[in-house]
Amino acid sequence: MTKILFSLSLFREYIANYIKTKLTYRADFWVEVASDLLFSAMNLIFIFVVFQHTPSLGDWSEAEVVFVYGYFMIPYGLFSTFSNLWNFSERYIVKGEMDRILTRPAGSLTQVMLENVDPPSLIGSLVGLGIMATAWWRLGLSFDWYDPFVLIVLALGSTLVYLGIYTAIAALSFYSDAPTGITPLIYNIQNYGRYPIQIYNKTIRFLLTWLLPFAFVGVYPASFFLEEHRDPLMAWLTPAVGLVVGAIGLGVWTHGVKRYRGAGS
Amino acid sequence: MLAIDVNRLRKQFKVQKNREGLKGAVLDLFKREHTLVTAVKDISFQIPQGEICGYIGENGAGKSTTIKMLTGILVPTSGQIHVNGFVPHKDRERFVKEIGVVFGQRSQLWWDIGVIESFRLLRKVYRVDETDFKRRLDELIETLDLGDLLNRPVRKLSLGQRMRCELVAALLHQPSILFLDEPTIGLDIIVKTQIRDFLKKINREHGTTILLTTHDLQDIDALCSRVIMLDDGHIIYDGGLNELKDRWSKGREIVFQFTDAVSLDRVNSLTAGLDVRWTKENEMAAKVWIPREMNVSDVLARVVSSAEISDIKILETNTDEIVREIYRTGSPEAGEGIRG
Repeated sequence: MTKILFSLSLFREYIANYIKTKLTYRADFWVEVASDLLFSAMNLIFIFVVFQHTPSLGDWSEAEVVFVYGYFMIPYGLFSTFSNLWNFSERYIVKGEMDRILTRPAGSLTQVMLENVDPPSLIGSLVGLGIMATAWWRLGLSFDWYDPFVLIVLALGSTLVYLGIYTAIAALSFYSDAPTGITPLIYNIQNYGRYPIQIYNKTIRFLLTWLLPFAFVGVYPASFFLEEHRDPLMAWLTPAVGLVVGAIGLGVWTHGVKRYRGAGS
Repeated sequence: MLAIDVNRLRKQFKVQKNREGLKGAVLDLFKREHTLVTAVKDISFQIPQGEICGYIGENGAGKSTTIKMLTGILVPTSGQIHVNGFVPHKDRERFVKEIGVVFGQRSQLWWDIGVIESFRLLRKVYRVDETDFKRRLDELIETLDLGDLLNRPVRKLSLGQRMRCELVAALLHQPSILFLDEPTIGLDIIVKTQIRDFLKKINREHGTTILLTTHDLQDIDALCSRVIMLDDGHIIYDGGLNELKDRWSKGREIVFQFTDAVSLDRVNSLTAGLDVRWTKENEMAAKVWIPREMNVSDVLARVVSSAEISDIKILETNTDEIVREIYRTGSPEAGEGIRG
C-alpha cells in the first residue's frame, strides 16, 4: 500500500515536470492533441462511410458501432497517457538508459511509465466520452444511477488489458537482441477490437477474446450499456481479464528485467 | 565491516553471431548461432568501508560489467556479491538507496528540465527529508561551485558542468558507497582536479567508500590507495598503488646534456662497473637507465666529476608507463621478465 502511495506521489512530481517542460514547447502540445483527434476523426469518418453503403453491419446499427468506438477511446486514452512505450526498446535497451532506471529506488516499470507520461492523450478519453454520450442519446438508451460507476470499473479493466499486453511486448526487448517488428503487428490486431467482433469470423473472434483480448477494450464492456446486444457476462469479465492480462504483463516484465544486459560502454 | 565482498563472480553473455552476406542473413532468420562470451571470469575481491579503490583495465576487460553487477543492474551468471550486506540484484530497490552511481558516459539527470528540478525529483525518488536535502544540497553546491548553473536545463550545460551536477545527483541521498564509471572522461584538467579534490573530501568527511574505473591513471595517483587491475576478465593485480610502482617500475632514467659532443663509449667509461645502460639522445645528450636498487646520486657523482654538463633531467617511471607495460604483456609477471 505504501508502495502505491509512493508511486502516486512520484506521479505528481513527474507530471509537474512534464508540464514545466511542455510549457516551453507549447506548440508541441497542441500539435499532439490535434493529431490525436484527427486520427480519431478519421476512424469515425470510416465508420460513417461504411454505413452509407449498408444500413447495418451484422445486426449492428451505425449508432451502436459509434457507441462501441466511443467507449474504446476512453481506455485507449488512459492507456496512452501512462504507457507510452512505443520507443522503449530503442531508448532504454539499445541506448542503455535502463541502467539509470535500475540504479534508482523505485519500481522499474513505474519509472519507465512515468518518464514517458503523455497527458495530452487524456483528451482522447474525454472526446470518447462525448461520442459515447451522443450515441447513447441517439440510441435512446436508459440511464441508471450506477452506469457511471460501472463505466469507471470497466474502463479501468480495459485499460489494464492494454497495459498488460503492451508491457509484455515492450518487455520482449529484454529477451531479443534486435528490436522486433511485433509491435506494429499487435497494433493492427488491436484495431479490430474497436468494432463489434460479432461481424468477424470465428477464428478472429476467438483470437480477440481469449488470446489477445482486445475485444475487452471495446465491444464486450460497451455492450453492458446497450439494449439489443447486451452481454452482462462478458462485460463483467472485463475487470477479471484486465487483472489477469495485467499480471501477465508485469510478470513478463519482472522476469525480463533480470535478463537485461545493458549497452556496452 | 566490508563494503564490498565479491566471491568467484562470473558473467557470461550470449552473443548473437551474424553470418556474412545475404545468404547468411537469411540463414540467421531461421537458425541463430550464438557464442558464449565470458566477460568476468570468477573474480574475488573485498573492499573495506572508507576505502577509495581504483578499478582499471583496458577497454573490454570487464570493468563496466563488474560495476553493473555491483550496482544491481546486471544479474551475475555465478558467484556471490555482497554490497553493504545486500545482494544487489535481489533486493534492488532497498539496496540502491544506499549507493550512488555516476556513469561518465550516461546522464543521470533529466535532459529538458532545470538542474535543480532534477535534484528535487531525485529527492522524491530517494525519499530524502526536505531539511536534510537542503543542507546537503547547499554543501554540495558550495564545494562544487554550482550556484549559477542550477536553473539551466541539463542539455545546455558543458560536459564539465554536467559532470559536477551528476556528482551532486549521486550524492544527494548520502550514500555510503559511490560507484564511478569513468568520472573524468573528456574533462579538462581544472575540472578533473576539482572532481578529484571533491571525492577526497567526501571520503574524508563522510567515510564514503569509493570504487572508480578510469583510464586516466592520474585519477588513480591522486585518489586511490588501492588498485585492482583487470585483464580479459581476470584480476591480474590487487594491492597498493605504491607496491605496484615499486614492484613493476623499471627504474629511473637521467638525461644528461653535455657541453661537447659525446660518444656511447665515452659515457660508458664514465660509469664503468655500475649496472646501468646508456642510450644516445643526440650529438650532445645521452640518457642513462638506472635500476631501482641503485642510488641516483652514485651515477650523478661519477658523471658530473668527469664531464662538463649543461643540464640534467631525472625521469621517474610513472604509473602510465608501468600500466602500459602490464597491459601490453598481459600480466605483471611478464612485466617482471622484461625488467630483468
